Amino acid sequence: MMMKFSPLLFAPINFIDDVLLKVGFGQHTINYVVWPLIQIGAVVTIVAVWVAYGTYLERKISAFIQARLGPMRVGPWGLLQPIADGIKLLTKEDFIPEKADRWIFFFAPYIAVAAAFIVFSVMPFGPDWAVITDVNIGLLFVISVSSVGVLALILAGWSSNSKYALLGGLRSSAQMVSYEVSMGLALIGGLMFARTLSMSSVVTAQASDSIWYIFYQPAGFLLFLISGIAENNRAPFDLPEAESELVAGFHTEYSGFRWSLFFMAEYAAMVVVSAVATTLYLGGWYFPFVYKLEAAGWHNAYVVVSALVFIIKLSFILYLYFWLRWTLPRFRYDQLMDIGWKWLIPAALINIVLTAFSVFLVQALDGWRELKTIEDMSNGLNLTGTGKVLMIVMGIVSLLITGGLLSFINWRSRDFNLKRQRRDIRLVNLPSGTSAVASTKTTAATTEA
Amino acid sequence: MHQVEIATTQETLLDSPQMVLNMGPQHPSTHGVLRVILKLDGETVMDLDCDIGYLHRGMEKIAENRQYPMIAPYWDRLDYIAAVSNGLVWVETVEQVMGLDVPARAHYLRTILTELNRIASHLLWLATHALDIGAVTVLLWALREREEILKIFERQFGARLTCHAWRIGGMINDAYDDFETDVRRFVNNFPKRLDEYETVLSENRIWLSRTVGIGVISGPEAVAIGLSGPALRGSGVAWDIRKSRPYAAYADMDFEIPLGENGDTFDRYLVRLEEMRQSRRIVQQAIDKLPDGPVSAKLPKVVKPPAGDYYHSIEGPKGEIGCYLVSDGSAHPYRVRVRPPSLINLQALRQMCIGHLVADVVAIIGTLDIVLGEIDR
Amino acid sequence: MPLVKVPKPDFIQKLKRFFLFDLLKGLGLTLKYNIGAATDKDSVAGKGIYTEQYPKERPDVAPRFHGAPRLNMDPETHDTLCIACNLCALACPEDCIDVLAMDVEVVVAGKARRKKVLDEFIFDTSRCMFCALCQEACPTSCLELTQDFELATYSRAGFVWNREMLEQGRETVKYTA
Repeated sequence: MMMKFSPLLFAPINFIDDVLLKVGFGQHTINYVVWPLIQIGAVVTIVAVWVAYGTYLERKISAFIQARLGPMRVGPWGLLQPIADGIKLLTKEDFIPEKADRWIFFFAPYIAVAAAFIVFSVMPFGPDWAVITDVNIGLLFVISVSSVGVLALILAGWSSNSKYALLGGLRSSAQMVSYEVSMGLALIGGLMFARTLSMSSVVTAQASDSIWYIFYQPAGFLLFLISGIAENNRAPFDLPEAESELVAGFHTEYSGFRWSLFFMAEYAAMVVVSAVATTLYLGGWYFPFVYKLEAAGWHNAYVVVSALVFIIKLSFILYLYFWLRWTLPRFRYDQLMDIGWKWLIPAALINIVLTAFSVFLVQALDGWRELKTIEDMSNGLNLTGTGKVLMIVMGIVSLLITGGLLSFINWRSRDFNLKRQRRDIRLVNLPSGTSAVASTKTTAATTEA
Repeated sequence: MHQVEIATTQETLLDSPQMVLNMGPQHPSTHGVLRVILKLDGETVMDLDCDIGYLHRGMEKIAENRQYPMIAPYWDRLDYIAAVSNGLVWVETVEQVMGLDVPARAHYLRTILTELNRIASHLLWLATHALDIGAVTVLLWALREREEILKIFERQFGARLTCHAWRIGGMINDAYDDFETDVRRFVNNFPKRLDEYETVLSENRIWLSRTVGIGVISGPEAVAIGLSGPALRGSGVAWDIRKSRPYAAYADMDFEIPLGENGDTFDRYLVRLEEMRQSRRIVQQAIDKLPDGPVSAKLPKVVKPPAGDYYHSIEGPKGEIGCYLVSDGSAHPYRVRVRPPSLINLQALRQMCIGHLVADVVAIIGTLDIVLGEIDR
Repeated sequence: MPLVKVPKPDFIQKLKRFFLFDLLKGLGLTLKYNIGAATDKDSVAGKGIYTEQYPKERPDVAPRFHGAPRLNMDPETHDTLCIACNLCALACPEDCIDVLAMDVEVVVAGKARRKKVLDEFIFDTSRCMFCALCQEACPTSCLELTQDFELATYSRAGFVWNREMLEQGRETVKYTA
């Protein structure tokens, strides 16, 4: 791991490096043990603060949508509210139900948090040292580790020794498992362009092609996003949390710090899905003119600005989460499972087929009648201008075909048949009757049907 | 705790035992302290029973020991969301029994404020119904409109919710100085707000999936149970007491009655939205035609209606709210019985819920628009 | 679930449904509100944020508001206007009011008369439902319901107000920050 330190901006890093060398660590140890630990610490801190302020942002955005102000009392503009909430939750009584399975009850929240946080070790925040580690099966790692979070739900529901928590936990986990299938399948479409599973290489593929894969894959992006939202148990798919068996679902019996861990896991999972969507579809840390910083020699500034670009794109998708929650009503559980199995999974499969066909088409057209569509295949699938236009058109066409095929598959389902949106209400003008008088005997009311 | 007998109406799939689930008195979606006992097969409701009485305050018994003008403030606490109409039914009953001649200005002001009260009640219904189904934002928006109406009530009557609006013979205070300005401003702004609610909900496919075909009750069944109000009109039965036995100034008002077609939740939702529009139309007409004059009739010192049995009802926001008065000629009524629309509408709950899922029960309770204050009195 | 009659859609409606137009409409309105609240503008009523920050901003209470009771005094002589007629106690549906009168000797036109004056006035605000029947019954406009709505106390006895509290008003801490 070669680090070029620009003396102006990052003198402290040089200083720490020198101190560690003097203390006696070898350069190898510093590069592979100490710095990663520092990076992990930084990322965990940043994500934890992000999650806490995610709750603050949710309250503020929901308040603005509802024409009110949100937290305003604790600190200026309520900025210290998450800290106050954290202190409150830490000082609450921590009780475990009497016949609950103590050790599983104890461990379940930690599993949830761990599953959500471990994913950040492969997340490409920026080009060079802004990734903790770049595993070459990055995307597969992300999907499989976030699946471990489902285990936490089941364990939490089971160990609470409560009918309602168990049923709520089973429902939540069934929902999460169903939507993970379509989440994973939706990613494959984007992978056909990136030609690699490593997260950083996905971003460099988009960078070298100078395009965001959302333009090639609108269907994939929508599918991934919808599956991600359902995976996180967020509205409009939050029935298990909102009314599940009329209490709070799997985390009914949790209070205080343990409950806040589940909460943190949920928000961290939201950030994970947003980060993966940003990486694969919105170009990650790539933005057209930022590379000029690297060309001018300001390497570390380039990395920092790219990380900021990543965070801004992530915030847009996170805003989408809040926006959808506070606008749309929630689906009933059977409708939810319907959507997962009968709409999203077929859509993901159709998307794979159509994307493969588009890639094949582009490769077949390359060199036909002097039409050059492919520029380079070493760093992902790089296309020329003609190729890009063709691919974007194919992306839109496949979106329409997917929609059409889905409608065809589901044409007999009950909800799909609610075709007409607004039904007009009949307005009837009845003749005026006699004026009311308190009658001395009860007369039968006449009905006009 | 009383034991509840639930008869099995349908066989369960795979012969599995049915689960009895208690949607207890403390529950965020039952609109008060209503206890619903559900017998479930998986998630499908097989049977349903309601346990009421958690809010019983003995209002009818209290009324036997109070004089006629003192009973009016208690009547606000029946349907505490729409207190003005409750006050109206009591006051009109006594006025008609005693044969008082209420001046026209009082009738018009009563019409305006009772229709504003209807809009306020329907706004709260929309707020809680949308909240139960998941669209939380509509709750806050509808409460903002309701706030405007409550401000008008506060400036006119002195209280926002339990207003003690009417006195026997008319009103105690004439309209306050800015009354017309406030009402006209509300009337101008309101249709755009209603359009906003419709934008978010009426064509939303999620809303349609949650409300179309849920809680269906047909017209003849509704009449057989005795439903009234929007629940009845959602099933297509054209019955509105403001038209068939007009009271206050409704005989002079030009408005129409929305009727639904299928008797499901979505129809009742559309009917109530349209009713809000018609109410706004009535308020506009009444404030344009408001006559001058006194606002109260002359009352005897002690109100003593002649002995006899009397019944009078008005079209409240929830349905037909009625008052059966048995007077023995003295200053205290002998017996007062309230016809609570929510209680009678609640009888339809069982029929509407059987066969649906648990999540729909919440939507159906919301669509019936019940208030426990009325049910338990 | 029973099937209900739904009218058939036309082509434009089918197209709108395919492109999720209904969901996008609702989302657009919410976005408009979000921006409107951030800039404090609203297309209908003008104010983007509708709430009042209560302890900082005192609310706008109507003049007719049925709030805490008060016994008014004559502005010049600072004598109570109450004539101890007991009409308020008789009008109250909840029996919250207790009027205790006493007889004093006054000299009217040279003759010694006995006049009834107010001795003690007990008002139980915990039983009161603020219906204002007492205010309407008072012939001298002495008993009035003011605009004070912050009536919380720390003890049950604190709800029972005597004549002094009714005349002077209760000292409440107004939190403004």
